[in-house]
Amino acid sequence: MGIFKELYNYRQMIVGFVKRDLKGKYKASVLGFLWTFINPLLQLLVYTLVFSTIMRSDKEQYYLFLFVALIPWIFFATSISGGAGCVVSQSTMVTKIYFPREVLPVSYVTSAFVNMLLTYIVVFAVTIFAGRGLNPVAILYLPIIMVIEYFLALGIAMITSALTVYFRDLEYILSIVTMAWQFLTPVMYDMDMLEGHTTILKIFYINPMTSIIMAYRDIMYYGQRPKLTTLTTAAGMGVLFTILGFVVFGKLKRRFAEEL
Amino acid sequence: MSEHSLHANDLYKEKPERKVVIEATGIHKKYRVYRDKGYSLKEKVLFWKRNRYEERWVLRGVNLSVRQGEAVGLLGVNGCGKSTFLKLLSRIMSPNEGQITIDGRVSCLIELGAGFHPDLSGRENIYTNAAIFGLTKKEIDARLQDIIKFSELGDYIDNPVRTYSSGMYMRLAFSVAINVDADILLIDEIMAVGDANFQEKCFKKLRQLKRDGMTIVIVSHDINTIESFCDKGIWISEGKCASEGDIKKVVKDYRNFLDKERQAALAKEMEERRKDAKLRIAEGKADFVPAAFLDENAGEEDVDYGHNRFGLGHAVITDVVMRDHEGKMTSVFMQGKPCSMEIHYKINKEGKEYIFGMAFVSSDNYIVYGTNQRRDESPTMLPSSVGRVTFNVHNMNLAPGRYIFSVSIIDDKEVPMDFYRNYCEFEVVSDHKNVGVIQVDHDWTIEGDEEDDV
Repeated sequence: MGIFKELYNYRQMIVGFVKRDLKGKYKASVLGFLWTFINPLLQLLVYTLVFSTIMRSDKEQYYLFLFVALIPWIFFATSISGGAGCVVSQSTMVTKIYFPREVLPVSYVTSAFVNMLLTYIVVFAVTIFAGRGLNPVAILYLPIIMVIEYFLALGIAMITSALTVYFRDLEYILSIVTMAWQFLTPVMYDMDMLEGHTTILKIFYINPMTSIIMAYRDIMYYGQRPKLTTLTTAAGMGVLFTILGFVVFGKLKRRFAEEL
Repeated sequence: MSEHSLHANDLYKEKPERKVVIEATGIHKKYRVYRDKGYSLKEKVLFWKRNRYEERWVLRGVNLSVRQGEAVGLLGVNGCGKSTFLKLLSRIMSPNEGQITIDGRVSCLIELGAGFHPDLSGRENIYTNAAIFGLTKKEIDARLQDIIKFSELGDYIDNPVRTYSSGMYMRLAFSVAINVDADILLIDEIMAVGDANFQEKCFKKLRQLKRDGMTIVIVSHDINTIESFCDKGIWISEGKCASEGDIKKVVKDYRNFLDKERQAALAKEMEERRKDAKLRIAEGKADFVPAAFLDENAGEEDVDYGHNRFGLGHAVITDVVMRDHEGKMTSVFMQGKPCSMEIHYKINKEGKEYIFGMAFVSSDNYIVYGTNQRRDESPTMLPSSVGRVTFNVHNMNLAPGRYIFSVSIIDDKEVPMDFYRNYCEFEVVSDHKNVGVIQVDHDWTIEGDEEDDV
């Protein structure tokens, strides 16, 4: 538990890292911070074109159906595969100064999270613009599911970033794993497509991201409150992985300075 | 002010019951030395044999207990584990066995400026760097002016750190590290900070921090610094504590050890040279064989005075460099100008005293001038086992011609160590056509006497 108190003491370092990350991203570009919004808008434009003219889907406004789930997914995938390198990339600091090593994955995931929040402004704008009403009661659940996803991503990122110190190519393996994982999560399709496949469904429900993505879609696309079972499953997974992440990281961090 | 601080210092010394802030017990640390390390999963799986490693114990049971306000110096030769120990105290690494408890905020001067971002300005880097020490924004704001002032960076503080000179970089890093209000300061080789003035300033600041009750642990090769700054010492040798306690005692123990080591090294080298000399004699190549090379216990009676070069060889001449009045290496000197003869020496065996001597010899083997340090009542203390003793001629007043330079080292009992009769020749030139062997400092005067008119 001491680690949480220490992380709190080092909050300024985390804030500094997150700021540097967000500022640094578009530092040399002309439009600067605007890219945070332009990027998802352009992405959305492409999806709209592709799925309303070329690959027609029977889902109504499929691009929105996809978009509300894709943004949280990208956050998750970035956290675990990009986040895997966050300790290794700061090797000079890790070998030379003391600070709670947990600061590194926490800041990485937090900055990806802030990025997702900003992108979600675009999601809101487009949803309203497209004429889909937002259910205010359902929206209340959005922060809850976001926090759950944050902790799930953090827990897994802590495991991957600590393991990457010992196995350097885990970073590359993970980019393939996350791609496969995306198809095992209902990001591009709905769970009702799987009706009847009982064994496959079991796998889907073991996947902690399934319930999270379903909750996002319930809130933003269907405009309904997520099912209580979906929420509790997601929350349970989040807590489990956070604990696991901190325990694994805490064990592996002892030899970071020597391995780097 | 100094009176007051002295008083405060004495008070601390009288209160040994101050609380223990660093407690390390039974610290063991091992490193894994990989023969050929594979970092990737592929390498780990395919070439698992390569991942074999040897374990090397760097620390084998070191204890340290430091009370608040004490300054502790860690001494030891290279690779003895003192830097590793400091890294363990700073929690950069964790020990394999043993327990370290630290009470208070720690600041490190181990790798100065390790967290600096080159593109950010000095000011921004103060924020990120201080955050690494666990300060909040408010706390940093309060200290910002002190940090900038101490670093002496002035207007440069808003330039990117990559434009800084290495001295400026170090100054900024040092300023941050000592201004974070730490309770404990860990320092590794502080002497590398900036120029002499700034170093002095750093030490002043460190002394002040110490007086204010900060606990300091220092690793340094500079024994004098540690001796003057620290109260307590610990000498680590081969991963274990060889001596600890009062700094005076630890430094003395450590110096004794270093002296013994050096003497052992000298004796070993002597032995090798003796072997080499014997070989050279056997091959008929040697022109000078110091008597002591042939027999360790050789005395004066073993010196063969018949040669051009002879002596026991406890101290030997390795080279002689002659310089003219402009400092240029030459063997031709202008009459009436200063010149110098640098005698390079090497001590093979420590002795009570070694006295350097010289002589200018004319081409018909007549000693024109000769003296030595004892006759000149000049100091003979040699600072190190190799070096040079220079014979400075204020005014080269030998008459033009060729001369032989003769050089010697004798010991306090005037036993020759290295006596080189005919070391080299040099020439004195002049545009004056006087004759003889020396130039007498002179002038001519003319006076007429009144004629005695009778």
